[in-house]
Amino acid sequence: MSNILEVRDIHTFIGQFHILEGVSVSVPTNGITVLLGRNGAGKTTTLRSIMGLTPPARGTVTFDGVTLNGKSPHAIARMGIGFVPEHRAIFKGLSVRENLQLAEHRGGDFARKSDFIFDLFPDLKRLIELPGGNLSGGQQQMLAVARALVPDNRLLLIDEPSEGLAPVIIEQMIAAIQRLATGSSVLLVEQNFRVAAKLAQQYVIIDEGRSAINGDISALVQDKALVQQYLGIGTS
Amino acid sequence: MMINRRTSAIAALLIFVGLISVALLNAGSLGNFGITILSGLFQGMLLFLVASGLSIIFGLMDVLNLAQGSYFMIGAYVAYDAQHVGGLVDLTSTIPDPNVRFIVAVIAAIIVGGTLGFILERGLLRLLYSRPVFQLVLTFGVSLVVLEVIKFIWSTTPYSWTEVFGVRESFFQLFDQRFSTYRLFVIGVGIFLIVAIAILLRRSKIGIIIRAGVEDGEMVQALGINVRAVFTLVFTFGCAVAAFGGAIAAPFLGASTSLGSAFLLQGIAVVVLGGMGSYEGTAIGSILVGMAIAVAQDAAIGTSFAALPSITPMLLLVLVLLLRPSGLFGSAR
Amino acid sequence: MTATTSTPNTPTQKVSRFFRRDGLYAILLVFLIAFPFIVGAITESSPFGIARGDRMIMRGESVRWQSVLIEVYIFAILAMSYNVLFGFTGVISFGHALFFGTAGYVFGLMLEFTALDDSVALLLGVIAAIVSCGLLGLIIGLVTLRLKGVYFAIFTLAIAEMFFIFFGRWQVTRAEDGFAVTALPLWIDPAQNRLNFYYVALALFVFTFVFIRRLIASPTGAVFKAIRENEDRALSIGYNTLNYKLFSITAAAILAGLAGILQVLLNKKVGPELLSVTYTVEPLLMTVIGGVGTLTGPVIGASGLHLLDIFARDAVITLGDTVIDVANIWSLVLGIIFILVVIVFPLGVVGTIRGWTMKRRAKS
Repeated sequence: MSNILEVRDIHTFIGQFHILEGVSVSVPTNGITVLLGRNGAGKTTTLRSIMGLTPPARGTVTFDGVTLNGKSPHAIARMGIGFVPEHRAIFKGLSVRENLQLAEHRGGDFARKSDFIFDLFPDLKRLIELPGGNLSGGQQQMLAVARALVPDNRLLLIDEPSEGLAPVIIEQMIAAIQRLATGSSVLLVEQNFRVAAKLAQQYVIIDEGRSAINGDISALVQDKALVQQYLGIGTS
Repeated sequence: MMINRRTSAIAALLIFVGLISVALLNAGSLGNFGITILSGLFQGMLLFLVASGLSIIFGLMDVLNLAQGSYFMIGAYVAYDAQHVGGLVDLTSTIPDPNVRFIVAVIAAIIVGGTLGFILERGLLRLLYSRPVFQLVLTFGVSLVVLEVIKFIWSTTPYSWTEVFGVRESFFQLFDQRFSTYRLFVIGVGIFLIVAIAILLRRSKIGIIIRAGVEDGEMVQALGINVRAVFTLVFTFGCAVAAFGGAIAAPFLGASTSLGSAFLLQGIAVVVLGGMGSYEGTAIGSILVGMAIAVAQDAAIGTSFAALPSITPMLLLVLVLLLRPSGLFGSAR
Repeated sequence: MTATTSTPNTPTQKVSRFFRRDGLYAILLVFLIAFPFIVGAITESSPFGIARGDRMIMRGESVRWQSVLIEVYIFAILAMSYNVLFGFTGVISFGHALFFGTAGYVFGLMLEFTALDDSVALLLGVIAAIVSCGLLGLIIGLVTLRLKGVYFAIFTLAIAEMFFIFFGRWQVTRAEDGFAVTALPLWIDPAQNRLNFYYVALALFVFTFVFIRRLIASPTGAVFKAIRENEDRALSIGYNTLNYKLFSITAAAILAGLAGILQVLLNKKVGPELLSVTYTVEPLLMTVIGGVGTLTGPVIGASGLHLLDIFARDAVITLGDTVIDVANIWSLVLGIIFILVVIVFPLGVVGTIRGWTMKRRAKS
């Protein structure tokens, strides 16, 4: 099984600040990989670097064998990478339908995928004409994920999907992500270790802008000392 | 101060009613009152043509196009030149019918404005996305250069429109006053455009992209949409509309080198009052500012305070910035 | 081998350090001080003008060139003041003429409309002018510096325009005609003793330069630059950025006021043109072209552009049959240069040259 995404030793600067000082991530095809680490370690920046929003100054990013370096974010998106950012970033002034239509790469994408999307997130069907700003936090998160499913994206970058959500909604989100992972590969950033452990098979720990350790998440769950050291939390 | 759309709408209505009341009080007769209202609407439509571009460009691209007034001025000069004898282009022999010539002149102004807008965005502005402060400085520099080029080509003498053509010459009677039908024509065109652009923004794909881009341009990019191309399109369109404004204003206002800064400042006042990036805000703001100027003009007659109409938009601007910088319908950024 | 101490102790060490760092400036200063006499010697004219009876008439090349340099000093002070706000603190304002003009008006009013003795009026006028534009800067800053950059710029544009229109109509100040300033002490009257005035202007120019230099090198200056780079970052580190921006605009306002005072003295006239957008655009152009954010940039920009402007007034270019009066297209050329600088050479003349020399030095 080859890797759909290869990030090799990227360095990313934001202004003068050296945020990523050597991050390497391999995302196997058809699996869920999670980036773990403390707040401010560089997890979100890693996703944004892959997406081309904060392009790396050094290192390479390869998607399905194609180098992403130097491409603009919209070209990267068109290659089949979906982005679900932290804080959802849905368009509050647009209706749910318009939000989803905007995500189309080709005409008719939404029409083809609507059954699948509404099956995954039944609430969205009910809310389809409402403005995005009227949705609750959990519904907005569902919309953000649904948006990434409209085109045929082979890789999804999902940043903190459980943030600020009620536990019941989180369970729904976990179930949804597990289902959509059967068709796409996922690179997840998740601060909630329990959610991460439930979803992912592989993990990479980002520590102070560098990738530290990686491996199977089943092994990590056992190693409480490691979890404490890098994530600063005791597993509950 | 928690303000939502309803409060803003009520505030706008109150201001409008207030202006109308002042106009009514000042007016010597019903006819005078009518003139003031129509004059306000006329001004408002012209302001809308300048301010709509300013607002959408700022909302989408975070650039305040200080050259927007210059494009209005370019439109006026191109239209004037095309319509009249002499100048750069003389069409009086090739197109003898002044009505047709007027249409050609306006189209020419739109094309010139749009092309120059395209060149500005594509050629110059693009290079400065990483340095937003310098974008402002650049558009300012462009406004200077455009002014100098216009002075070079057409001299600093203001031009009054002398060509006679159909709709410009007719008048209609409103109670006891005469009002130029042409101004009514401009008001009609303005209203049509307000509605047309609103429909475009609400219904079309590009409209959805623009509305989304005003909210979060980065996310639009991440969805696979080439936002840069949309920037160019919007910028070009904004400049073309401004030039169109100058062209249809010219038969009434003529062409002069002071048009650029005057309409820029007034346009900025509209956008600040209505709220940067808000289309409804710009439309409503245009009418309010236009009315305010007309009321001020009416009030200033006979007093020694002849500068009131020019200061009015600036006073509004300053007031809004002090009280609520995001304007009536803008989002607090 | 003992390491050399970083602070010079002996007099010779101090002198040599002075020359290494400021030698060029010192030489330039000496030149500027001697300038009227140098020109006088070359053109055989007196720097004091020509005597007519018991008065001096300002005729002669030396005196004419003194005027030119005085104008340069005024623009240089104005440009440097603009640079403090825009170049060093990153705050763009389109209303700089406000400070220049207000100081000019207050100063002129004090001199001309008060029944005070000339010298007293001069002193009070200077103090009043400085206080008023400092206050003006402070008030404007307090009211609007909390707004986002572009809103602040718009506000300054609107306020400056309003002041311009207002003073152009206010009958007390003779509206658009303005008024002449004749109640000047004799020793500083440029129509009688231009050499004295020259040295006063030069002194103020040097003062401004040294003051800004000190300011930028100080911890306050470092915060200015931090605000310019990334204000949010500076805030999160803990700086009260609003206070620093207030200080910056007040300093810029006062320095611009100095230039305004000099301008009124030079032309012996006060009018609404002092508040016109020219005195916002000129320093902006000079700063950007000279080198925004550098110490010498605005000075180079001011002197270069003003001298070019003077030469352009008389120059004529002949291309085949067409004769072009350079004076007509000078503003156009200036605008195009400005755009070129903004896009291609954003660091201006000084900044770009500095960049080149640093690259050359890095290679060797």
